[in-house]
Amino acid sequence: MSEPVNPSVDSPEYPPELARLPPGRHGLPREFVARNQRERLIAGLAEAVAENGYAGTTIAHITRHAAVSRRTFYEHFSSKDECFVAAYDTVMAELRRRVDEAFNQEEEWPQAARAGIAAMLEFLTAEPHLARLSMVEALVAGPVVIERYDAAIQGLVPYFEAGRQGRSAEVLAGLSPSTEEALVGGMVSLISRRIFADRTEELESLLLDLVEFALTPYLGSAEAAKVARQG
Amino acid sequence: MASKSTPRPLPGRHQLPREFIAQHQRARIVNALALEVSEKGYRSVTVADVVKRAGIARNTFYENFGSKEDCFLAAQQFAMSAALDRVVAAAGEIDEWPRRVAAGLAAFLGFVAEEPALARTCMVEALAAAPSSVRYYEESLQSFVSLFRLGRDVSPHGQELPETLEEALIGGVFWILYQRLLDKDAAGVEELLPELVEFTLTPYLGAEAACAAVAEGDGASAAPTSRG
Repeated sequence: MSEPVNPSVDSPEYPPELARLPPGRHGLPREFVARNQRERLIAGLAEAVAENGYAGTTIAHITRHAAVSRRTFYEHFSSKDECFVAAYDTVMAELRRRVDEAFNQEEEWPQAARAGIAAMLEFLTAEPHLARLSMVEALVAGPVVIERYDAAIQGLVPYFEAGRQGRSAEVLAGLSPSTEEALVGGMVSLISRRIFADRTEELESLLLDLVEFALTPYLGSAEAAKVARQG
Repeated sequence: MASKSTPRPLPGRHQLPREFIAQHQRARIVNALALEVSEKGYRSVTVADVVKRAGIARNTFYENFGSKEDCFLAAQQFAMSAALDRVVAAAGEIDEWPRRVAAGLAAFLGFVAEEPALARTCMVEALAAAPSSVRYYEESLQSFVSLFRLGRDVSPHGQELPETLEEALIGGVFWILYQRLLDKDAAGVEELLPELVEFTLTPYLGAEAACAAVAEGDGASAAPTSRG
């Protein structure tokens, strides 16, 4: 490409932080700028959607929040939907990272499951806009996102399937092929209802109930309740 | 979803009451929208699509509904009522709680298996439609809560059960059915009955009693079938 990567320093769309650099080609590797722009667009989308809802968000909203030009938007994404998919994937990757980290820190499965659930609730509470983006707006952002959403929820199943390890024949007999699916679906249902109603402050208070609900099929209700209460 | 015998206006000067025609017109529009949504997804459907499918004038649509959103809500309410009617018919008269749950679940699974298009409307499409639809979906889930809450009275440890248990159980059952509807695998959902009954009864009665209730149900007579 023979044109400069960014518009002129004087244009209102010029990213403010780059304006400090000498005008013209600033020598940053194109890859760096591209990645940076993409990240800003994703952050910009999240802010725009928080303000306007998905349906009400326009590309102009996104580019304004991202402080990039419309042309730059189209260098990275062909549509609002596509930008949303990227934002969704980014949020989910971060959520997954935190859940994994918390889960893997514990040696015993019941505590690991509890830690994973707690980490999820913590993240959603700390980032209510991202919570809404990933669990409410995602449902109206097109079929590609819905597929990702469904896969993300199903992706929680293995954390609970791990609970089958070492259980007695009696306990295992009480489980069915759909047990983990039902547990995960039930937990997400509780969480997404509160997010939909803008009551993210209630999420962390769900921890005890969620842990007891999820662990009961494997440990029995008394033991599950005990694990739930452990700090 | 359309009635099996579509009424035709009588020849000559006899006229069907306007109210009667209006009711059926409304049903026709709702039906058309439900079909369009199942084919294209809620977002892509336009009022133009609906009027074309229903074979009506645009004016007629707006005489019946304020918007696509209103029309979809009507479709959703129709579908959910169909489900609830079955559940109430099957479970309403049964006193013994575990059998009541089993009958109610059987009826709901029957609805999903026999009316997958309606089930998709109120359980799949509804989530991707307008906020009013999501709200109505949430309310629908709540109406099943009372069926399960009765279990607290028969449970030996009803007092200690988590407050959100019913919400979670219902959310879980719906999620499983949602997956089957997505995979267009609704025909076989009735096979899930034993495991779903066990899953929902266990927190109240313990695994052994829940299992026994399932075994008993297998031997009992089937719940009333659909009335069409």
